Amino acid sequence: MIVKSRRKMLTLGGAALAGMMFGAPTKARAATAFTDNDILNFALNLEYLEANFYYQAAFGTTINVANAASTAAGAPLIALSATVGTAGNINVPAVGGSKVPFSTITVGSYAVETAVEEGKHVQLLMSALGPLAVAQPAINISASAGGAFPTLATAAGIPGGSGFSPYANDSAFLVGAYVFEDVGVTAYHGAASLLTSAANLSTAAGIMGVEAYHAGLVRTTINYLDPNLTGIGSYTNLISALRAKLALAGLLGTSPGTYDASPDDYGLANTSVSLAGGSNVTATAIVDAPASESIAFARNTTQVLNIVTGGGAVNGTTVVSPATGVFFPQGLNGLFK
Amino acid sequence: MVGAGSVAAATMVGCSMPASPAAVAPPTTTFTDADILNFALNLEYLEAEFYLRAATGSGLQASDTTPGSASPYQTIGSVTVGSAAIVAGTTTAQAEILNEIAFEEENHVRFLRSALGSAAVPRPAIDLSFFGPLAVAAGITTAATGTGSFNPFSSFDYFLVGSFIFEDVGVTAYSGAAPLISAAGVASGYLTAAAGILAVEAYHAAYVRTSLTGRAITAGSATAYPYITAANQVAALRATLTVGNSAAPSTMGSVETALLLPTSTSSPSSIVACSPTNAVGFARSVNQVLHIVYGSPTVGVKSGGFFPNGVNSIFATTTA
Repeated sequence: MIVKSRRKMLTLGGAALAGMMFGAPTKARAATAFTDNDILNFALNLEYLEANFYYQAAFGTTINVANAASTAAGAPLIALSATVGTAGNINVPAVGGSKVPFSTITVGSYAVETAVEEGKHVQLLMSALGPLAVAQPAINISASAGGAFPTLATAAGIPGGSGFSPYANDSAFLVGAYVFEDVGVTAYHGAASLLTSAANLSTAAGIMGVEAYHAGLVRTTINYLDPNLTGIGSYTNLISALRAKLALAGLLGTSPGTYDASPDDYGLANTSVSLAGGSNVTATAIVDAPASESIAFARNTTQVLNIVTGGGAVNGTTVVSPATGVFFPQGLNGLFK
Repeated sequence: MVGAGSVAAATMVGCSMPASPAAVAPPTTTFTDADILNFALNLEYLEAEFYLRAATGSGLQASDTTPGSASPYQTIGSVTVGSAAIVAGTTTAQAEILNEIAFEEENHVRFLRSALGSAAVPRPAIDLSFFGPLAVAAGITTAATGTGSFNPFSSFDYFLVGSFIFEDVGVTAYSGAAPLISAAGVASGYLTAAAGILAVEAYHAAYVRTSLTGRAITAGSATAYPYITAANQVAALRATLTVGNSAAPSTMGSVETALLLPTSTSSPSSIVACSPTNAVGFARSVNQVLHIVYGSPTVGVKSGGFFPNGVNSIFATTTA
């Protein structure tokens, strides 16, 4: 069957849509031209990070070393065989992390499921990119002193942040997972309109959907365990505030894209809403989206880089590239870094 | 109206998938971006009516259902309420989540209507009593109405099953539609908007699936928590409605992921509906979505199920 190309110009039904007032999609900050592969490679860097985190938490191993737990769960063994990247930052095994001593079936099973899915995403992107796939860069997912997680937790203002380990127990793991998932959604969402092939768009949309399922899973579970938001629920607001601050800095003073109004990240704080013109009622924030339209946020690559490097992508209103820090101590590989 | 065929056995876990499950065959009629957004709007009208009534007992305001001046559809459809009412017996926390989802679906209706302007279609006729016959077709109950019939408003657990009918479908519908948006539409921001709505539908789907799974785990077994089985029966019904249609058999196969009930901390859950091959989310074609919401596997059907007068769309009739 012939798939209609997105590039085919179709009429928009006369004047019917003339009044559309959409903003143009946010362009990536790279000064040079980019291709679909560059976008997919940016995503691959992020998937390497997520997969290693979840593999450690669920199985106690990295994606490139199989153990009994990862094998039993059907998690792909990823050979770190890609060659594209900066010398010294090619196929460095991820540092840090350990298996979470899960005490509840709920949280343990979520970790296993998510790890398997993120592993498959790495596998898919490496396969799609073939010899153009970027190598895994140096990744820090450590909870040791100075590691990525205590650094981030301290910056967010989480109580006892300097000792925060997402590998300590079920609740801490959920907080660790919370760090990643909404970011994945905004990254893929921001990239959607930049992809030129329908096949790549279908794949990216499909992966974005899965990241949103993950985010929804984590937020639902945290909300269930801490509905009054006095514990880990409150941490989500701290983490979201930090991400929003880093994302705002990533705009370098320019106007945000249509779906990136500040703040572009909401934790689990309840809201007050009117339904069908009625009196206001209390609503949760399982979904990370603004109340104006309930459409998920979208970020550009500089914003995402600034988040995952803990501010390493900007210096005032100047881009810093390669961006390094926190999860990517030597920066990412590929064009967007 | 609804095929009374046998329920497929719960063997969907690990079913083999095509290599690229995300690509769908486009509609065979010529269409515009407005047609795509209007198709989505029909589905959002349905979801909004369901969730608003579940949360408040009332549906969309009239001003959120009217046709744009340029729409060929000028009649606002009525809603057959059936048993729709505020979900009984919810906790404060559950009610607040219902409020959130209803708010977001209402926002989606408003967003699409605003985006479409004078091209916006009005709300089509919606039948919320279809849950009854749907549950019979799925093998969940034997009564379509009255005592013993399925009522998603009768308890929070029944509400979760009712929501389950919609949510994975919403995600797959947007996923299938996204690549159909024209280059001009992309430049205008429609694709980004559709992707952003897709993400929110996925958050909703995750909420429903996580809740069903978590409550089943707490109960200890599917026997103790039959709602997880009921959800899987819904998924099986959706699969039978959309596979093997005569005119142009779907190349997608089943795009369902059954809900697992994990029994240890090292066994996986299945919160995410995605391909077991590459963990990419599913996409559905317009026809596949229609088969589900019309409750019919038949080609050439233009109404039924939740839409007794069909959707207000050039795609209203199933062609495959």
